[in-house]
Amino acid sequence: MIAVRAVMSKAAPLFAVAGLLAIWQIAALALNTDSFPSALDAIRAIPAILTDRGDLINILASLRRMAIGLSLAVLLAIPLGLMMGRSRAVASFFNPLLMVIYPVPKAALMPVIMLWLGVGDVSKTLVIFLGVSLPIIYHSFQGARAVEEKMLWSGAAMGMSATQRMLRIVLPSALPEILTGCRTGLVLALITMVTSEMIARQSGAGNILFNALDMAQYDTVFAMIIIIGAMGIILDAAFEKLRGSLVKWSEPRFDIPLSFS
Amino acid sequence: MNVLPLRPEVENESASGRKAAAAMIEIDHVSQTFQTSGRQSHLAISDISLTIEDGAFVSILGPSGCGKSTLLYIVGGFVNPTEGVAKVKGNAITGPGPDRGPVFQEFALFPWKNVLGNVMYGLRQQGVPRAEAEAQSRRLIEMVGLKGFENFYPKELSGGMKQRVAIARTLAYKPAVLLMDEPFGALDAHTRTRLQNDLLNIWERDRKTVLFVTHSVDEAVFLSDKVVVMTRAPGRIKEIVEIDLPRPRRRAELLLDPRYQKYVVEIEKLIDDTGIAELHP
Repeated sequence: MIAVRAVMSKAAPLFAVAGLLAIWQIAALALNTDSFPSALDAIRAIPAILTDRGDLINILASLRRMAIGLSLAVLLAIPLGLMMGRSRAVASFFNPLLMVIYPVPKAALMPVIMLWLGVGDVSKTLVIFLGVSLPIIYHSFQGARAVEEKMLWSGAAMGMSATQRMLRIVLPSALPEILTGCRTGLVLALITMVTSEMIARQSGAGNILFNALDMAQYDTVFAMIIIIGAMGIILDAAFEKLRGSLVKWSEPRFDIPLSFS
Repeated sequence: MNVLPLRPEVENESASGRKAAAAMIEIDHVSQTFQTSGRQSHLAISDISLTIEDGAFVSILGPSGCGKSTLLYIVGGFVNPTEGVAKVKGNAITGPGPDRGPVFQEFALFPWKNVLGNVMYGLRQQGVPRAEAEAQSRRLIEMVGLKGFENFYPKELSGGMKQRVAIARTLAYKPAVLLMDEPFGALDAHTRTRLQNDLLNIWERDRKTVLFVTHSVDEAVFLSDKVVVMTRAPGRIKEIVEIDLPRPRRRAELLLDPRYQKYVVEIEKLIDDTGIAELHP
């Protein structure tokens, strides 16, 4: 019985996906309009995209921008967040700035950025960077703030300098929280990536999607949605694997695994 | 591995400022005021002077909020006193340093390090080569009774085991003074008794100077050479009671010893006199 249950709980996400596809299929057949292809039609259109050299280059270009934007954000946001969490002066300097930036949809900055930096890689990467930075700063800040004072005192008594305490106590101690921020950042990077390509139509996964929409190739539109979604799921699952191995020392955060890993 | 020079943790004073070699810690007219919210200030401890000899086990006993932990933090260099000066080996304390090793009620272990990693941490920090640091740490882990748990992470340990790791971690870098801030306060009675016994056994081997903060009269009398009884906030020294009981002390014998019982009663009476009702058992 236990084995059956284990299989069931492993297979549950697959059932959910299958159920969703079934509902889609039935709804599409019932509605029978051109703009809503059936699930099978959409899935059938996927190989054509993934075997097309131009499309693949587009998708890889998207992923490259996403990786650069996310990496830059991680490199800058984590140190900033940690310093804000440990220094009142740094926090009160940056807090108002971040409060102003926070509610602005980063994609809304795209037209201005395009005006200054053109429609190329730089603009799109910058928008991804902006979109991703805030959650990583916020979680790094919270993680650094929650570090137990007595742990830092213990380090100081061992003769650690302020910099050493930051790198060797605050950073590892805040790591579970930082990685939670990075996970949010990863998904936001994907979203901002597609949005930026929707506005600056030049290359990328978003561009394939919207070109297909312009040409009323609805199979391709929905196929791209599936591909982008799958990319998100795969990236998230891979990140969760990495996160799990980095912070296996910390308490499990969720009883129900929130990914397919 | 790059060996960082150890930060000098104390400022040297002129030789004339040094007192008798026997004094390990001197607390000289120390007061501590904290700013609370609403521009109020709270006088935590007031005009405390106390000398602790090298090798003495001294407990500070008082109710919650009497500033006994504050006094320990001042000696640790974690808090700077508002007034007065605290010295270790004749040098004014200006910050934390490896000559004074803290053990906190909250354990404050590094959760991302396993038991061995925690105990090795201070040694590695001081530039001891890995192999040697590991060998020393394994011996210490065995001494505190945790042989076989070297690869466990703090979250996998009970409270008593965590505190054993914390004690080993601090003993590892060989501080001249152990600063223990209600170390057994979060443990159940049984574990507490066992750790008290084990602490005494460890202490009797090398007789480090210990400053031990507690709110338990039994614990203070059982462990200490001297019990400093503090008043309710603002904390002042009410009286210093010398505990003249033979060592090594055995708990079973001591509990039946009328001298031990007399000390406990005497100190409880002192505490009653200060009108402290909320002293925990």
